[in-house]
Amino acid sequence: MNTMATNPPSTDHKEPYYVSVADEEEIFRAAFNQGLTILLKGPTGCGKTRFVEAMAHRLGRPLITVSCHDDLTTADLVGRYLLVNGETKWVDGPLTKAVREGAICYLDEVVEARKDTTVVLHPLADYRRQLPIERLGITLDAAPGFGLVVSYNPGYQSVLKDLKDSTRQRMVAIEFDFPTAELEEKIVIEETGLDSANAAKLIKLAQAIRRVESGGLREVASTRVLIAAGRLIVEGMSPLTAARAAIAGPLSDDVQVTNGLKKLIEVYLGNEEK
Amino acid sequence: MENSVNHLTMLASAIAGRDLQVSDSGGDTPPWCDGNKIYINKDQSSQIQLQQLCVQSALIASGGLDPEILRRLARRQKQAQRYLCLEGWRALSLVSDLLPPIMQSLLSQMPTNLTDSAEQSLAMALAKNEVQPTPALFGEMQTKKLLAATKQAGGATSKGQHIPRSQQQKPLEELSDDANEDEEDKEDFSTSPVGGGGGLGKQLQKLFQRVRKLKGGDSPGADTATHWSRSGSRSTVRAVSSTASTESVDDVFTSTSGLLYPEWNYHSKRYRRDWCTVIEVKPPTETQANVEWLTGHGLRKPLSQLGLELDRFRRQSQGDDIDIDAAIESQIELMAGSHPDTRYYIESQRHRRDLSVLILLDISGSVSQQSQTGVSVHEQQRAMAAELCTVLYEIGDRVSLYGFHSQGRSTVNLVPVKRFDENLDGTVMNRLHSLIPGAYSRLGAAIRHGSHVITEQGGTARRLLVVLSDGLAYDHGYEPAYGAADARKALSEARQDGVGCLCLSLGANTDTEVLRRVFGSAAFATIPKPEQVGRMIGPLFRSALKAAEVQRRVA
Repeated sequence: MNTMATNPPSTDHKEPYYVSVADEEEIFRAAFNQGLTILLKGPTGCGKTRFVEAMAHRLGRPLITVSCHDDLTTADLVGRYLLVNGETKWVDGPLTKAVREGAICYLDEVVEARKDTTVVLHPLADYRRQLPIERLGITLDAAPGFGLVVSYNPGYQSVLKDLKDSTRQRMVAIEFDFPTAELEEKIVIEETGLDSANAAKLIKLAQAIRRVESGGLREVASTRVLIAAGRLIVEGMSPLTAARAAIAGPLSDDVQVTNGLKKLIEVYLGNEEK
Repeated sequence: MENSVNHLTMLASAIAGRDLQVSDSGGDTPPWCDGNKIYINKDQSSQIQLQQLCVQSALIASGGLDPEILRRLARRQKQAQRYLCLEGWRALSLVSDLLPPIMQSLLSQMPTNLTDSAEQSLAMALAKNEVQPTPALFGEMQTKKLLAATKQAGGATSKGQHIPRSQQQKPLEELSDDANEDEEDKEDFSTSPVGGGGGLGKQLQKLFQRVRKLKGGDSPGADTATHWSRSGSRSTVRAVSSTASTESVDDVFTSTSGLLYPEWNYHSKRYRRDWCTVIEVKPPTETQANVEWLTGHGLRKPLSQLGLELDRFRRQSQGDDIDIDAAIESQIELMAGSHPDTRYYIESQRHRRDLSVLILLDISGSVSQQSQTGVSVHEQQRAMAAELCTVLYEIGDRVSLYGFHSQGRSTVNLVPVKRFDENLDGTVMNRLHSLIPGAYSRLGAAIRHGSHVITEQGGTARRLLVVLSDGLAYDHGYEPAYGAADARKALSEARQDGVGCLCLSLGANTDTEVLRRVFGSAAFATIPKPEQVGRMIGPLFRSALKAAEVQRRVA
């Protein structure tokens, strides 16, 4: 199915790299143990998906990720009948699979999904922890170890889309923000293998960009773009070129804003004494 | 190096943590800052410019330019310079993590005994102690100009006093060197170190507060008491009542027979039937001057994308994907021996919007006031209306544009600048530019009429009403609370009829709270700068249309 990417139980894989920024790990563990649904909020590229991967690994649960889009139907999540050799056969959707196996089901960018689709989560997300499957005429009780995690970025879709209150109130929210400068430097170094001098410069640049208010930027430089820039530098590109390509370009199409960003990059990443 | 200082705006904002402008200080003037704009020397090397900029931005970030402190330094240039030195170092140390590498050399000269707060810097500066010389990069402390600018920005005098609020970005020409000649500065004595914010100062301020006067370029009627606002007047002048008539408006328009509309009585919670008479008056075509045709097409992209969204249609007889549910059903039907439905494809279509838009342009007196940028709200709204109209017309939507204002419930004038069936040509633009703001705004009646027109003449399934207004509903017997309730009611009626509503407030600084009261749950947005429209218009249109669709389905 085009909507899902399933990771097999990942105990034999290397643990995804994730550093706790605040108390998100404790909240996640507590909520998971209590069977509560978790809502991850935060700007794009701050590590929400990576966090879920790491937590699934640490808790030893398989992770099923569904990237939500606006054509995601309930059947896409729950499952549907398919025809196999002239007979109908029920095939579980990602959500049903997670409920049966006791996996963590992660719905990425859940606001993108249609509102009537998210309603199917309600009985799962509250004390019932059940998934009614209308077409089969059954109601599944969630297996122990099942966890539901959804994420969304409150920033850019807020005008258009929002979660229903009835959905929101069934969840425990964990708010994400970009890590502190030292942590972020560590993350960038770990992820890219960049030398610490260049990493420090990148971080300083990002801190500056994040302080720019309004100025035409929809989103600021995320940890993700820093890592992209770092990777380009590791490939042998000059920091200036790398930052222009990985930071200035993706952040804005506006000529004036891009020029401002380029100037910032030049000031922060250019040679020290020209 | 011609425009190089503009590129530095973002750097300055980054260090200061808020929006700033950067400008050339001109000649040999040392760098300084007025709280909103940093002046640096364009003729210096870019390295020096950067360093100057960093120092000034840091001062803003540290709060070292707080008006309270500045007032105590006013007219004490020597002490001010000592303060600048002390506070400059403190500010730099505060933001040292953020400063670019180019500042390293300067940072290495940082003295060890830093002050802890701006107050301490002030105390030290006023004391007689020996202070090390101020680095040239720190520039100069222009206490007087700074204070004048802060006062304009509403920062210094806004506490507890009803002083018209205007946002930053005042045109800085008003703060020329000979500031004493300036009208703005004439009442500066009330904020002088002597008068300060004390009782005497307040009294003086009260006594000498400016009242509105009709400026040469202003349209008549603009100085009637046009509205009530919690934000105070949007310009730096205050509205007082006057009896100036709005004849000019009435002269231009000749009345025709009107349409009756009800009005929501907020007090008794019921409708007043046939309460308002809406008259469609002939649009004026006075301006024969070459009307500037649309220049920027910033709105075209977001608006045309609205129509280009892919919609997926299930159960189609052809398409690029199989609708699995439909396919399986038809197979089951087939096996069961009955006639299957062969429409089991999903088709992605660029759905033709089938949209008609009616733009209601507020031309009441309140919009003729100048906004902070020096352009009147009316001019901004008019430009917006022209752009929306042109772009939607070019995309192929049905579009019409009406101006509205009123003079009591029996004279709610709607001026059809462009009707649905008219072509968009020079005549329309002439009419648009001939509109002269005046009189009041009975928003509810205008919305009801707009909704009526679009339902009758729109001719499409999807209809959108765009209200360009400052959100101040006010007329005879139409006080703000009553007007807001009526406008809200009218908007929700329109939505119930399947007309999406979008309210835009452009350049006006009406409180969001007031707008919320007037526009209710309709999609509305306050857009401080016209350039920002492009980014917001797409989502706004979409949400307005969506709301109408939901309502229609429910109804």
